[in-house]
Amino acid sequence: MTLSFTNADWSAILPVEVVAAAGLAVILADLFSGRKQWRYVSIVIGLLGVVAAGIVAGRQFGHEYDAFFGGFMTGGFATVFEEIVLIGTAGSLLLYGTIGPAGRVAGTTAIMLWSACGAMLMAGAANLIAIFLGLELLSLGLYALCAAVDRKTARESALKYLILSSTATAFLLFGAALLFGATGSVMLGDFINPSLASSPLFWMGAGMFLIGLVFKLSLVPFHIWTPDVFEGAPLPVTAFMSVVTKAGALAVFARFTYAALPPGVAARLLLPVWIVAAISMIVGNVGMLAQVDLKRLLAYSGIAQIGYIVVALAGGTPLGLRYAIYYLTAYAFMNLGAFAVAASISGSDEDGSRLSSYRGLGRRRPWLAAAMTIFLLALSGLPPTAGFLGKILILAVTVENGYLWLAAALIVGTAISLYAYANVIFAMYAPEEGPQRDLRPFVPLAWASAALCAAVVIAMTFYPLTPSNVLPLVR
Amino acid sequence: MPLVLVSILLPIVAGALLVTLPRGDRVLSRAVGIAVAATTFGTILAAGTGDWSVRWLSRPFESAFHFGATPISYWIALLLALCTACAIAACRVERTRDFVALLLALEGTMLGLFLARDLLVFALFWDLMLVPVFFALIGWGEHPATAWRYFIYNFAGGLTLLLATAAFGIIYGSTDVIGRGGAPLAGGWAPWIYAGFAFAFLVKTPVWPLHTWMPPTYSGLPSPMVSVVSGVQSKAGLYGFLVIATALLPAYVHQYATPLMVLGGISLIYGAVVALTQNDAKRIVAYSSLSHLGLIVIAVASANTLALDGALVYIVAHGLFSAALFLLLGYVEEREGTLGLPRLGGLAWMNPRLGGALCIAALAALGLPGLAGFAGELLILIGVYQAGFIWPVIVALVAIVLASAYMLRLYQDIMNGPQREDLPIRPDLTWLEGLAVAPLLAALLLVGVFPKPLLDNAAITSTQSGTLP
Repeated sequence: MTLSFTNADWSAILPVEVVAAAGLAVILADLFSGRKQWRYVSIVIGLLGVVAAGIVAGRQFGHEYDAFFGGFMTGGFATVFEEIVLIGTAGSLLLYGTIGPAGRVAGTTAIMLWSACGAMLMAGAANLIAIFLGLELLSLGLYALCAAVDRKTARESALKYLILSSTATAFLLFGAALLFGATGSVMLGDFINPSLASSPLFWMGAGMFLIGLVFKLSLVPFHIWTPDVFEGAPLPVTAFMSVVTKAGALAVFARFTYAALPPGVAARLLLPVWIVAAISMIVGNVGMLAQVDLKRLLAYSGIAQIGYIVVALAGGTPLGLRYAIYYLTAYAFMNLGAFAVAASISGSDEDGSRLSSYRGLGRRRPWLAAAMTIFLLALSGLPPTAGFLGKILILAVTVENGYLWLAAALIVGTAISLYAYANVIFAMYAPEEGPQRDLRPFVPLAWASAALCAAVVIAMTFYPLTPSNVLPLVR
Repeated sequence: MPLVLVSILLPIVAGALLVTLPRGDRVLSRAVGIAVAATTFGTILAAGTGDWSVRWLSRPFESAFHFGATPISYWIALLLALCTACAIAACRVERTRDFVALLLALEGTMLGLFLARDLLVFALFWDLMLVPVFFALIGWGEHPATAWRYFIYNFAGGLTLLLATAAFGIIYGSTDVIGRGGAPLAGGWAPWIYAGFAFAFLVKTPVWPLHTWMPPTYSGLPSPMVSVVSGVQSKAGLYGFLVIATALLPAYVHQYATPLMVLGGISLIYGAVVALTQNDAKRIVAYSSLSHLGLIVIAVASANTLALDGALVYIVAHGLFSAALFLLLGYVEEREGTLGLPRLGGLAWMNPRLGGALCIAALAALGLPGLAGFAGELLILIGVYQAGFIWPVIVALVAIVLASAYMLRLYQDIMNGPQREDLPIRPDLTWLEGLAVAPLLAALLLVGVFPKPLLDNAAITSTQSGTLP
């Protein structure tokens, strides 16, 4: 049998190709920059590529097509997750305005774009090989990105991520191999076969596959790496990891749990995942309480936030998936916004990630402090932000599905988290002696990103668009 | 643009725009603030029960940005606009501009709460109205822990409200229910939903033993803000009982009337006794609030029409006299730098106008006939008695006697007695200061002798389908 791919196959992954080409263009442009390092040229080319890919991907929304013999499915679901990945990438690129040595911006931009390609592949991947390909492409880039600044913590972060992530990948790969052994197929669509429900091999494979995914989602107990890796990595890379990696992993997780399990298996197989999500909501929020570094704080926050999103998928209803996507989008904006504020008040040494540098920010930088307040309110689920609406939607769908204990865990977690978020707000507005003006330079890109994110986080509350046709996930 | 929407958005937008004024501004921001609050008052009057609605969610339950006054919220909204205008007029704190902006934001968010006709919107504004007070406690409060306590208690209430709202929406299919008078909710979930609502409302009111956030908050906030918080924000929970619990879950209000009465009764006595022992004037008024609001909780629990009518009158009355008391105590604190009763004394000699105003407010608080507090108390007591609850009436009567004791002590220790030599001698109220509390006192008298407009809406128990006078 010969494999022949048609043009339709290649145009199905056109958004991925556009982003990959943008990465190449960044490298090529850098060749001509000579001694003068063109920081902004790299960023702008990268952004243009991302926007173009976003447009291309948006056009595929209503057109469902199984490219590469069902390995990559375009349309609805894939489009939505591709767009979230692109939003995350754009938001992270915007932070490169001052951070990191100028000489490395081109390289890191390109690698970030290629990493994003991996996440976009995961968004549409419908067979085990494509999933693995996307995951590895995403991770390989990140290992390099984590070490992209000359800091001991950055190298530590990269090494930690490499070792732990490889372990997780090994689980995932082993699980995939067992799944293949049990089913004789790599296609997720073939796993729906009812006879598999009694196959121990399938159960083992699915379990290990899920462990790998849960690690990428950084749910408890596979969350230990997140704070350390986030703290050490450069700020834009942290932002990228907090949104893009999780979006990619969540796409695979949603597709696998919604569409690739034999009937009757989901309730039992996924119960541990829901328990893990419930624990994550508590542990992540408790972990935030003692942090003095914004990146670590947001790492723990992310653990809990992904818990909220995963909870929405419990019950496997289409509505749950829509709300998970809504919350993920909102989460992307509030997280990127918070990182943008951090970047705006950072020098090249990234001191903006220390929580102590937010003291008196309300006086020194009122607009940035206001934006940060909005992001923190959103993360804690207070109105008038998308975090509030997202949480109530998830609560509603969880209660409707009968997972009352998950709703209770969500409530408890939220109550705990409030202290940590409000603590930052408190520091920003508490009256105290200190410099009245900030002498740091104005960082237009990061500032604009923060303003945009704040506007979106509020607008999403009043216009809660949730994509309607994200199903079916496999055919 | 519909007037009801204007009344909510105007203070919020104006508050945000105030930030464009120069930082040190003291005069213009107050003038703008008073004008905005007065305009809002007029807008609420003009809007009447007109409503405005736009669809928000259609799944998993229907929800709409639906605003409009009900016969109950109409009066509370007017009270809120009046209190805010007076508070801004009386406002003399550092960083006036920012403080007035927060007061306006507080007014707008609370109007959103009281005018909301949709439960989810109600829950949204419930959380939102905490934010300005939290910021005021951070920026102007004495102790950071106070801000935390306020926020965490009330946010915990907000969360149970949210959970109950979500469950309500799923079972009922729609949250666009406030003031609609639809069929009451029933089913296995309903008691839990009621519990969620009740917890939020009881924290907010507050009642014993959920009240511990309240005394430090009231004594920590600058007096203009606390006059609005104590005058109106504390009514959010009672309002919730009236228009949500009583209207949509009447069976459970009835079923759990006794525990509610017990909590109300304990608050009534406990607040009064503690008020007697306090030495800080603001704390006395704070604990008296606990006591007075306990009486309204009893009225709600009795579910008697007369008592509920009395509850509305007393809600308005308490709003007026507690706002006036806090503003006047603010004046005293500004003049003498302290509110400790042992250190104060004989102020009325030099400040007859201040003394007279405080006298009226204190008399209203202790329920003197002719002032608004009496009308409310009397209706509640008769109604609760009619409903067959004897012991709560006895408890309330004891508390009313205690109220006379602590209110007179408050007044006497500040105003009467020999003049203290160590206290600086300050001029009496200026005309603006007087003007800031005069409307509150006038309204106290007006409602006291003519409470009929508030009572004419016999709509309270028939789930608010009545019309305005």
